[in-house]
Amino acid sequence: MKTKTRRLIALICAVLILAAGLYAVVYAKINLPPTYDGSKVDVNDLYEHPDHENLKDADGAAAIIVQKNLKEAYAANDVASIVFDFRGYDTLGESFILLTAIAGSFVILAKHRKEDLPKEQEGGQTDEV
Amino acid sequence: MKYKKGIEQKNIIVKCGSDKFLPFALVFGLYVILFGTVSPGGGFQGGVIVASSALLLYLGYGYKTASKAINSEALRVGESLGATLYVILGLGGIFVGSVFCRNIFYNDGAVGDMISAGTITFMSYAVGFKVLCGVGFLLLLLMGILAPDADDEKEEAK
Repeated sequence: MKTKTRRLIALICAVLILAAGLYAVVYAKINLPPTYDGSKVDVNDLYEHPDHENLKDADGAAAIIVQKNLKEAYAANDVASIVFDFRGYDTLGESFILLTAIAGSFVILAKHRKEDLPKEQEGGQTDEV
Repeated sequence: MKYKKGIEQKNIIVKCGSDKFLPFALVFGLYVILFGTVSPGGGFQGGVIVASSALLLYLGYGYKTASKAINSEALRVGESLGATLYVILGLGGIFVGSVFCRNIFYNDGAVGDMISAGTITFMSYAVGFKVLCGVGFLLLLLMGILAPDADDEKEEAK
C-alpha cells in the first residue's frame, strides 16, 4: 500500500510539473515578445544599410558595434558581455560540463586516494559485520 | 628517478624553474581573472592558469609536498560554491523582472575600469573561482595516479 500511494503521489507531482512546463511554453510562445533578435538594435540596420552609419572613424564598423553594445549591456568588452550576459545559459552549461567531468573522474580515480584517508571508516564497517 | 638514503633526488633545474615560475603563474592568473571583463582573457582562462601552478609544484617537489600544500577538500567545496554563486548572480536578473543573466547593477565605475560592467564582472569572478578550484582538484587527482606507485617503490627501496 505504501509503495502504491508513493507512486501515486509521484505520478501526480510529475503530471503537475509537466503541465506547468507546458503552460509556460505555450504562454511564452503566445504572449512574450522575442528577446535579443537584433531588431531593436541598430547593428541589424548597420548590416543591411551601411550607408546610414558614419563609417569614417578609425575603427569603422567595430566602433559602432561597441557603442551599440554599451547601450545594451553596459560592458566595454563585447566578448565578456556576450559570454556572461547574452549567452549566460551557455556559460552555465559549460561550467557544469566541467563539474560533471571532475565528478566522474573523481569516482574513477578516488580509489588511489583511499590510502590517504583515515582507516577508522574501514574498521567501523568490519565491526558492524 | 633515483633514490638515495630515502630522499627523492629531483633535478635541480626543474626545482629552480618551478620556484621561479610559480609566483608569476599565480599573479598572472589572478590578473587575467580580475581584468577578464575589460581585457582579453576571462574567468575560465585565468582559472586554468592559476590551477597550473599546482602542476608546477608537483613537477618541482613531488606528489607528497603538493598534496600537503594544497587542501583538496577546500577545492572540492569551492568548486560547488563558485557554481552556486554564478547561478545566484544569474537569477538576479529574474528577480529584477528581466531575463536570466541580465546585467542588473551596471552603474558602478567608468567604462574600462576593473569593476565596471556590473554583474558581468562578478559572474566572471565566480566562473574563475570555480574553474580554479575544479581544475586544481582534477590535477591533484591526476597526480594521485602517478605518485603512490613511486612512494611504494621508495618504501621497498628502504
